[in-house]
Amino acid sequence: MREVAWRLFAGEYNDARKTIAAKGEREPSFVLTPLGAQVNRLFLSGVLTDVENLGTDQEPMYRGRVSDPTGVFHVYAGQYQPVAAAALGKIAPPAFVAVIGKARTYTTDQGTTYANVRPERLRVVEAGVRDYWVLEACRFLRKRLDLAKAAYALESPTADAIAKLGASRAGAEGLAAAIREYGKVDLSRYAAMLTEGLRYVLPEHRGERAEEVPAGGPDSQTEGKVLELVASLDEGGKGAPWDALVAAAGKAGLEPSALEAAVDVLLDRGAIYEPVLGRIRRI
Amino acid sequence: MTSEWNAHVKDIAKALGNRVPEQEIARELENYVNVYRVSVDTAKRSIVKKHGGEAASLGRIAGREVKDLKPGEGSVDLLARVVYVDRRTVKVPEGQKEILTGILGDNTGTVPFTAWEAAGLELAKGDVLRATNAYTKEYKGKLEVHFGGRTTITREPPEALPFERAARNGPGTVSTVAQLRDGMGTVSLTARVLQVEAKSVTVEGAAKTVHQGLLADATGRVQFSAWKDYGLKAGDALRLEGAYVKGFRGLPQVSFDDRAKVEVLAESDLPGLEQLSQAPRAWIEDLAERGGAVDVTLRGIVVDIREGSGLIHRCPECKRVLTKDACRLHGAVKGQSDLRVKAVLDDGSGALTAVFDRELTEALLERTLEQCLTQAREAMSVEVIRDAIADVLVAQPIEARGNVTSDEYGLMMIVQEAKILRVDVQEEARAMLGALEEET
Repeated sequence: MREVAWRLFAGEYNDARKTIAAKGEREPSFVLTPLGAQVNRLFLSGVLTDVENLGTDQEPMYRGRVSDPTGVFHVYAGQYQPVAAAALGKIAPPAFVAVIGKARTYTTDQGTTYANVRPERLRVVEAGVRDYWVLEACRFLRKRLDLAKAAYALESPTADAIAKLGASRAGAEGLAAAIREYGKVDLSRYAAMLTEGLRYVLPEHRGERAEEVPAGGPDSQTEGKVLELVASLDEGGKGAPWDALVAAAGKAGLEPSALEAAVDVLLDRGAIYEPVLGRIRRI
Repeated sequence: MTSEWNAHVKDIAKALGNRVPEQEIARELENYVNVYRVSVDTAKRSIVKKHGGEAASLGRIAGREVKDLKPGEGSVDLLARVVYVDRRTVKVPEGQKEILTGILGDNTGTVPFTAWEAAGLELAKGDVLRATNAYTKEYKGKLEVHFGGRTTITREPPEALPFERAARNGPGTVSTVAQLRDGMGTVSLTARVLQVEAKSVTVEGAAKTVHQGLLADATGRVQFSAWKDYGLKAGDALRLEGAYVKGFRGLPQVSFDDRAKVEVLAESDLPGLEQLSQAPRAWIEDLAERGGAVDVTLRGIVVDIREGSGLIHRCPECKRVLTKDACRLHGAVKGQSDLRVKAVLDDGSGALTAVFDRELTEALLERTLEQCLTQAREAMSVEVIRDAIADVLVAQPIEARGNVTSDEYGLMMIVQEAKILRVDVQEEARAMLGALEEET
């Protein structure tokens, strides 16, 4: 059976720190999110804000950043994704894009895990396709949120018990695994993503200040702190090494997820950029 | 000597009034079966006749009854009728292999079977066969009979397994349409007739009229076959008890005849004909669990365009798609051009292959087959058409209506109607936001 393409926001996807390894040679592996999405393939849409060739002209490895109402997807395409790489190399940002791709994670030497996307298909789309994607991402997020709320109230949230709440077998197993791996997470963070997503497509809410995303989400104070760190760790104009930034942020009491979220926001705002992979520099 | 062999010998001896010593019978039986390789039944009849006995007085040492079979049995003897059989080529580690698959039945039930040594084995619907040393397995929770290298299969005359039709089935499992599954056996069902038409068919050489159509309740719709004229018409609310469920490519179908209780209800709680005639929106996840559905509407996006999409050429004889200008059956032929799309449609709950025919493809591409042929000639490649299809369809929200079937490769929809989906995103987002605000 072909693996389903999950619709989920970058905010939830980037919170994923765990993978479920393939059970057999031809079996799929999954990236597990705190809400129990078991993602092997995903469908995402958003604004392609920048594309960078991390490889060479002969052997390009493109990294694209696709932003949605809640965060940024990191999309990597190289020789093993020839169709998507060719497409990514040609698109001039900013552009609305849709991506169908495989879920992957990358773990640094420090043991921090980042979820990214290896695209199978990537193309420019109309704003309407992106808006419809946001709506779908909201619907599925709401389903996972409601199920998580109900499951958190259970004494023993096993897959069987969760299935009895009316979830599909796969949904119940995913959530049970997520509770084992991440514990009961703060759901208000995801409820905020849901309203953020819905408001994003509604003209009457356009221009409103984004709601503060609690628990781990970036705020202006965090952003300020990160900007300071980036400046202080800059090595002679080449930018601050990512690992040093993670270490310094950790000492300053910032979780890697909070750091990453703040960096994403600052990158989007154009306050910082990545001169080379793994280095961050103030503009 | 196995106990079964002894039982055959004793059976012959008894039919001959114990006039012939068992030792002699055993020797003859062995001669017939092992040297001349005739079936045990034929051998027994021959021996009885040869000694002047009455073959009809032989008892039948039947094999096992289908209803008593359990998964994981290593040596099963069966006397059964072929209900359905199909020859297929499957991939095995050593390459390709021809197998026979189908359904066997006796008077106690039916069971799917696979014959792994199909070379030289000819089986047709209605054949009665005796299999010794077959084995059973469970696949996806269902029992299967397998004929392997150790299995001996012999054809028997039809009289060896006379039909014993029950006068009336029991009421069976109470079910809604969505709960119907292949292999359920008999069911009770209340549903409305959406459409029905009479068809002439040939069953085992005899002409019959079957009344076929669609039944629906609030949960879904299902194809039915009535093997008797109940005077059914569209809109009738039907109460069925003891109807039989069988599967066609994973799609459950209901059939009924004199053995079932069939009643047209004057009143029912069923939704009206008009409401039931709307193709219900379905989720692929549910279809995967049900094995398919009749006339459903899906909303999803196209996530991939599969091989075999775009410009294709078909055999003028059998309409099969040609590979390298050759038909699998008819060899090198002059192909007829056609256009189709095999898309992977994904609705976020699951994915299936959706097949769009020429007419639908032309509408989605907004160009005709002729225009595609010209374009391909100019580009000197048929790939350009596949690329054009991908350009139009990938990531595009689509609404597709049709029948969904399943096989070992997953679900497939033969699309009857399709359109690019235009959703009022704002209206739906506003409704969801409103509902969320009410909750908190």
